[in-house]
Amino acid sequence: MKIILFSDVHANLPALRAFFADAERHSADAIYCLGDLVGYNIWPNEVIEAVRSRRISTIAGNYDFGIGRHSDDCGCAYKTDEERANGAISISLTNELINDDNRTYLRTLPAHIRLDFQLNDETLSLLLVHGSPRRINEYLFEDRSENSLLRILKGADADILCFGHTHQPFHRILNSGDDNRPHFRHAINIGSVGKPKDRDNRGTYAILEFSESSSVLDSNSVTVTFVKFDYDVETAARAVEESRLPDAYAENLRNGY
Amino acid sequence: MATDQLYFSPEHTWIRLEGDSATVGISSFAQDELGEIVYVELPRVGETFQRDEVFGSLESLKTISDLFMPLAGEVTGVNQQLADEPTLVNEQPFTVGWLIKFRPDKPEGLHELLTAEAYNRLTKDQEN
Repeated sequence: MKIILFSDVHANLPALRAFFADAERHSADAIYCLGDLVGYNIWPNEVIEAVRSRRISTIAGNYDFGIGRHSDDCGCAYKTDEERANGAISISLTNELINDDNRTYLRTLPAHIRLDFQLNDETLSLLLVHGSPRRINEYLFEDRSENSLLRILKGADADILCFGHTHQPFHRILNSGDDNRPHFRHAINIGSVGKPKDRDNRGTYAILEFSESSSVLDSNSVTVTFVKFDYDVETAARAVEESRLPDAYAENLRNGY
Repeated sequence: MATDQLYFSPEHTWIRLEGDSATVGISSFAQDELGEIVYVELPRVGETFQRDEVFGSLESLKTISDLFMPLAGEVTGVNQQLADEPTLVNEQPFTVGWLIKFRPDKPEGLHELLTAEAYNRLTKDQEN
């Protein structure tokens, strides 16, 4: 079973188009989107329509959640006054641009998707969330303590947890069992298609693969591949600069941070 | 509650002593810095800690922050409400958002901590 997962497109249509073209070559069995279709660029409607027309199963990101509800709060945990001021422009522009039909679509997106696989004698439970299982806007970074990350996975009953939101991809394998009977769980941040923050301005998505013998007893039986793809960053950055969005967001695209 | 009945540690916990029982929470400054708290990790009743030892942690949307024991002692109570409502720490850090109760080994150590006034000066300096 080969599953493609992508997230955090953030209204970046050139990046999304390049993602679709790149994803084609993998012959995946399924594709899921982990939310944040909108925000920070000028193409919220086009991005939504591209995802909807392909019938891609999608969950709500925090930005989608806010825009879907006509909110002026995207739940983005900005730290400085400048970040907050920039963020306010982005959400205001997104609210202006988005049409009613697409807003309703965002409003009706599910929060999580859970897939339970019965491969052998045990269930392998795959949970797809945007931020974390407990909050749509909780940031799960790679350096989170093992104690905390295991607690989150066990609490959500997830053997494989996939999430986005931070725009910084990683894959960690944790053991909630012991040496006699291990229980390997996977925490997978799938990165961002349209607004990377890992200092690489290419988009990122992830391919999750497992076989009929995949199990929680074998940490290698579930594999994750991160794919980086080039896209026309300049077109996306210039679109930001020519709109009323802050130029800082254009620099973020050029720098990948 | 009037904060002038409280003592503060530089690690942003407050402590209120009543007889031989002390209650501990985090300051308004600390909860504001942390942002929305998502999970509170607390010790079990009966556990003992040295002064400045980590007795638990607070997980917010963006970070995890350790909690440091203001005085050495044995934990006699933990705020069970925080399991379901961790944001009580943000909303009412000095009252229903309390974290633990404990019996200090040396209650007189309280006077080595900061008064509310001294703590407020410290946090103003940190902000600047």
